[in-house]
Amino acid sequence: MKEYAQDYSTAELVCVAVAREIEDGDILILGSFTPLAFVSYILAKLTHAPNVMYMAYSSVDAKPFQLSFAGYEAAATKGGVARWNMTECINSLYLGIGVDVEPVSSIQADQYGNINISVVGDYEKPVLRGPGGAGAPEVVKMHRKMIGYFPNHSKRTLVPKVDFVTGTRWKISNEARTKAGLRPGPLKYITNLAILTKDEEDKPFKIESVHPGVSIDQVIENTGFELTVPKDVPETEKPTKEQVRLLREKIDPYGIVAFDFMSGKDRPAYLKQILDREVKALAY
Amino acid sequence: MRKDRVINQNKVAKLSDITRLIKDGGRVAIGGAWLSSHPMAIIRQIIRSKIKHLSLITILGSVDIDLMIGAGCVDRLMFSFVSMEAYGLAPNFRRAIEKEGLAYDEITGLAIILGFEAAGRGVPFLPYRGPFGSDYLEQRPEFYKTINCPFTGEEMIAVPAIKPDVAIIHAQRADPAGNIQIEGTGGSDLELAKAAEKVIVTVEEIVPTEVLRENPYKTKIPRFYVDMVIEQPFGAHPTSSIPSYVGDPWHMLTYMEMAASPDTFKQYLDDYVMTSEDEYLEAVGGLEQMNLLKKLAEEVKLL
Repeated sequence: MKEYAQDYSTAELVCVAVAREIEDGDILILGSFTPLAFVSYILAKLTHAPNVMYMAYSSVDAKPFQLSFAGYEAAATKGGVARWNMTECINSLYLGIGVDVEPVSSIQADQYGNINISVVGDYEKPVLRGPGGAGAPEVVKMHRKMIGYFPNHSKRTLVPKVDFVTGTRWKISNEARTKAGLRPGPLKYITNLAILTKDEEDKPFKIESVHPGVSIDQVIENTGFELTVPKDVPETEKPTKEQVRLLREKIDPYGIVAFDFMSGKDRPAYLKQILDREVKALAY
Repeated sequence: MRKDRVINQNKVAKLSDITRLIKDGGRVAIGGAWLSSHPMAIIRQIIRSKIKHLSLITILGSVDIDLMIGAGCVDRLMFSFVSMEAYGLAPNFRRAIEKEGLAYDEITGLAIILGFEAAGRGVPFLPYRGPFGSDYLEQRPEFYKTINCPFTGEEMIAVPAIKPDVAIIHAQRADPAGNIQIEGTGGSDLELAKAAEKVIVTVEEIVPTEVLRENPYKTKIPRFYVDMVIEQPFGAHPTSSIPSYVGDPWHMLTYMEMAASPDTFKQYLDDYVMTSEDEYLEAVGGLEQMNLLKKLAEEVKLL
C-alpha cells in the first residue's frame, strides 16, 4: 500500500512526476546543471529503477549521490565506473545506441512539440538572447522519450508557435517515429500545474493529469494553445511519504531542487544560504 | 604531423608567452564545457594582453565567453550554448547580441564537434543525421548542407571542418613535452587539440614524464598535438577542475552581480583581471578559499 505524503512542495511533486517517467533499464544523460533532473534520476535509481545508467559530465554509470550545490560535479565524477569525454558520449549515446530520456526545459515550447532555447523575438535583433540549444535538437528528436519540464506554466512559456525551433520532436506518433527510424516514446510537458501529453501529429496536447489543488480551467487559461480535455482528468499522483523522505533526508537535504522554481531575483540569497550550510557540513 | 612538435621536448612557457601564438584577429577555440575546466587564466591573460578582434569558438561556454565578450576582445562568436547555468543567463553575451549586434553563428553542439573531428581527420566535412525540422538548417545554411549517402541514398546533413588557429585548454597535469592528462570533466578538448593549428594548455602541475607513465591511461592528449604548456594552479578558477577543485560559487555570484551593468563590469575587470594571476587568486580569497574548493571536491557523499 502506497502511503501518500500530505506535506510536499510543488518542486517535489514535479520532481517525482519526472522520476516516474524513468523506467528501470533506461540510459539517461545529465547535461548542464539542472537540479530537478539530477534529483529525479537519483530518486528513480534509489527506488523503482535501480539499474538505470547515467552519464554525468565525463562520468559513466555514476553512483547516486547527495546533491550539493558546490560539489555536484565532483560527486558525479567520483562515483563513475569510467570516463568518457563529451565526444565519446555524443557519438556513442546520442548517435549510436540511443538515450532514453534527458529532461529539458526551455524558454518557449509549443503545440507541435517544438522548443526554443535560442531567441525571443527577431533572430537577428532578439528581445532576449537565450543560451542556445547545445544538444537539444538531438535530445528532443532522437531520445526515446521527450520530457519537457516547466516550473512556470504560463502563456509566455507554452506558446502557439515558438519564435525559433531549437529542437523539435519532428515525428510524434509511434508509427511516424518508427517509419523515420526513430524509437517511439512519449512527448510530455510536466509543469507546475499539470502534465500535458501529445500522441499524434495532428491532434492537440491533452491534459493527462492536473496537480492536486489545480483546476482544469487554470491549466487552460495559462496555456497558449488548444488542449484536449478528456472527460475524466485524473489528479497527478502525489509523492509518497517514502519519496519525500528520500528527497529531504538523503538526496537533497539542502533543498536545491526548489531553485528551479524560484525567480532569478530570489536565487542569489537562497544560494548563499545553501552554500553556508554546505560549508558547515564539511568535516573541518 | 608537424615535426617541431615532436622534436621539442620542452614546451614549458609562462602565461605572458601566449601572445606568441594568440594574435589579434585570431580564431580561438576554448576548451572545457558548462562551468567546468575552462582555461580561465589564459582568458584573463588575453584580456590583460589587449588581444582584440578574436573570433571565438565554443561548444558549451559560460563565464569564459562572457568575460571575453565583456572585455571587448571578441568580434565574432561561434557557439552552441552560452549560459551561466544556475546563476542565470550570460549578461555580457546577452548585452552584446541584444544591444550591440555582436556577429555570431549559433550551431548545434554536435555539428561543432563533428567540425572539429573532420579537421582532426583531415577531411573537409563529416555527415550525420542532422537537426531536421529545426530552424538551424535555414538560419545557417553555410554550416549545414544536405547530401545523399552514396551507398544507400539516405538524406544526411554534412558539416564543414572547423579549423581554429589556436585551441586553449586547461587540464590536470602535463610533462614538459606536452603530454596532457585529463582526469575529470573532459568536454571535447581532445577534438579541439586535433583540429587547431596551435595548442596551448595550462595545467595544475607539470611533472616529469615518468610520473605520467605510472598512469598512462589518464593521458588524453599526446605531445604531438601540443605547442605550449604552462603550469598554472587554479588556472580554471572560477570554473572547476575536477577532481582537484570545484567551481567557486561565491566568486560566480560576485561575477554575476558585477556583470549586471557595463559600469560595474568595468570595475570587475579592474579589480580581478587587469592585475596579475597571483593578485587574482589573492583577490578571490587566496589560499583559504582554494583549500575550501579542494575540500568541497573531496568530500562528496555517495548514496
